Amino acid sequence: MRRPDAGRRVTKKAAIQQRLVAAALALFQSKGFDATTTKAIARKAGVAEGTVFNYFRTKEDIALYFFEQEVEHAIESVQRSPRLRTAPLEEKLFALIQSQFAYLAPYERFIGTALVEALRPASKLGFFSHKAQALRHRYIGFVQELFEESLPKRKFMPVQWWLPDAFWIYYLGALLFWLHDTSSRKQNTLAFLDSTLRIGVAIVKRT
Amino acid sequence: MAAKRDTPAGRAARMAGTGVSVAGSYMGYLLQRAFLDQPAREAKLKAAHGRAARRVRDELMSLRGPAMKLGQALSLQSGVLPDEAIVELAKLQREAPPMHPTLMRAQFSGSLGRDPEDVFAKFDLEPFAAASLGQVHRATTKTGELAAVKVQYPNIRDAIKNDFTWFRTVSKPAQISGHVPKSMIDELETQILAETDYRQEANHIEFFARGLAPLRFVTVPRVFRACSSDQVLTMSLVPGRHVDEFLARRPSQALRDLVGERLLELFYFQVLRLRTFHADPHAGNYLIADDGSIGLVDFGCVKRFSRAFVGNLSALYLYRGARESAHFQSLIDQRYAMFGTKLGRAGRQALSEFAEKFYRKVYPPEIEKDHIPFDFGESVVLHDYLRESRKLMRSKAALHEHVFLARVEIGLYDMLHRLRARVHTSRIVRKFLEDRASA
Repeated sequence: MRRPDAGRRVTKKAAIQQRLVAAALALFQSKGFDATTTKAIARKAGVAEGTVFNYFRTKEDIALYFFEQEVEHAIESVQRSPRLRTAPLEEKLFALIQSQFAYLAPYERFIGTALVEALRPASKLGFFSHKAQALRHRYIGFVQELFEESLPKRKFMPVQWWLPDAFWIYYLGALLFWLHDTSSRKQNTLAFLDSTLRIGVAIVKRT
Repeated sequence: MAAKRDTPAGRAARMAGTGVSVAGSYMGYLLQRAFLDQPAREAKLKAAHGRAARRVRDELMSLRGPAMKLGQALSLQSGVLPDEAIVELAKLQREAPPMHPTLMRAQFSGSLGRDPEDVFAKFDLEPFAAASLGQVHRATTKTGELAAVKVQYPNIRDAIKNDFTWFRTVSKPAQISGHVPKSMIDELETQILAETDYRQEANHIEFFARGLAPLRFVTVPRVFRACSSDQVLTMSLVPGRHVDEFLARRPSQALRDLVGERLLELFYFQVLRLRTFHADPHAGNYLIADDGSIGLVDFGCVKRFSRAFVGNLSALYLYRGARESAHFQSLIDQRYAMFGTKLGRAGRQALSEFAEKFYRKVYPPEIEKDHIPFDFGESVVLHDYLRESRKLMRSKAALHEHVFLARVEIGLYDMLHRLRARVHTSRIVRKFLEDRASA
């Protein structure tokens, strides 16, 4: 019997991890976040319940992992596009949020409950939990990069200190707007993002 | 000063002023919009009145949203602004915000289910023209044909509905006084909302392609249905130039006359034969080729008339008798009876004067004069028309059926004036009237 080499082992591990996330997301979406147990996730993913714990300690960790992937996906899609590199700031920010929403779209119901869950003080998904903070820093750091490469370089620009944080709050607002948007293909969100980003960037450029 | 303007009282005063003077202003905008959007005038504006116009625009922009639109409309009607400022304002009003490629792509693939690059062999991400509700991109289909792809701004329909809700509220005084009848607002809303459905526009294009086939000099685009949806419309590119570009090449008087004759024929063919006409007379919608053929584009706004209404129009076209005669008056009454309204004394007077001071001059009814072309080079033509139509509005005699007819007529006369064309006006109308009579 041949032992699988290290590379294959890593790939297999990643595949199981991905399977667990997919199973969990499907259950979060259909049964709701609270009603989903790690046992059910394991059953759906076709692994033993104990295996789940080799990858994630809790279902909150799975959810958080999903959001990490979502943010990475959105950042990558902006970085990958050669055209966006020279695009105006409002378009880059639009592209970032739009690819986040596109990633979240299949799990809309779960996103709504996750947002409520995140407001619970002790929650691991909470905005101030250690892990969620790291995710937020990753996101804000990237937004900071976008601002820096797009805004005129001046010696002193206090606005840049708080701007990425303000953008994070704007993003949460946009997410709420998106969740409540009942227009066909969520076109109201597109129009909302377009007009608010255009106005917002114009104001920032003036100050 | 700025602080004073921004007090709630100041704002309320401005709003009240806007509300009271609303009568007919939106109508005025629609009537005049047709001939405002010209690159030449814009260039002139930038040179001469740029700063002043921008100041006015900033002032109106401070009102925001629909209030801004109404402020603009009001300024158009009152005639206190220079033409250049009006152009600047009309531009604000006409254009939906431009879409960057990311938003355009989201709209395109959301509506069609595929990315532009998958649908077309080549797709230009930069738009080459602004459409009233979106923008137009150049593309090459997979079969190698050149195409114009119109993409709509997201959810423009709701934005229009909101504007009208607001407009209905502030124009209440004008509705009660009868200057802006509710039926007219309904008509505007219905027509403007209809423009948001590109599927309907595709139907219009196909209708006109069939209907206008007897006019060999007219080209209408072809719709690529497989690459179109409710918010994306793909059409073949129509050859020809904007009238300003056409004129820049110094065409001969004979060629300008030919184009003029054809434009007038195209108009009366639509009204009297098809009873349906292209109702967006923006100059960019008429593309003139070097051989004098005419490309007609943008069929979002199309107006249909009833058989009875067109019958009434043709009875009044080239009317030979006196405007005071019982026969003429009864024909007018018939028209208003069709819409369940009665014509007041002032309205009757305004309508008779319109017929006398404009139509009899431009379209002499005497057959002996048919060989004399009317010279549209004289600038008074358009002013005459605008003056008479304003009188009609003020006398509360404007029917909602007149709204789009007037809009197209203004666009037509403006175009003929720009071409300085000499046109056998009555001969063309008479030909269609005789065809109708024999049919």
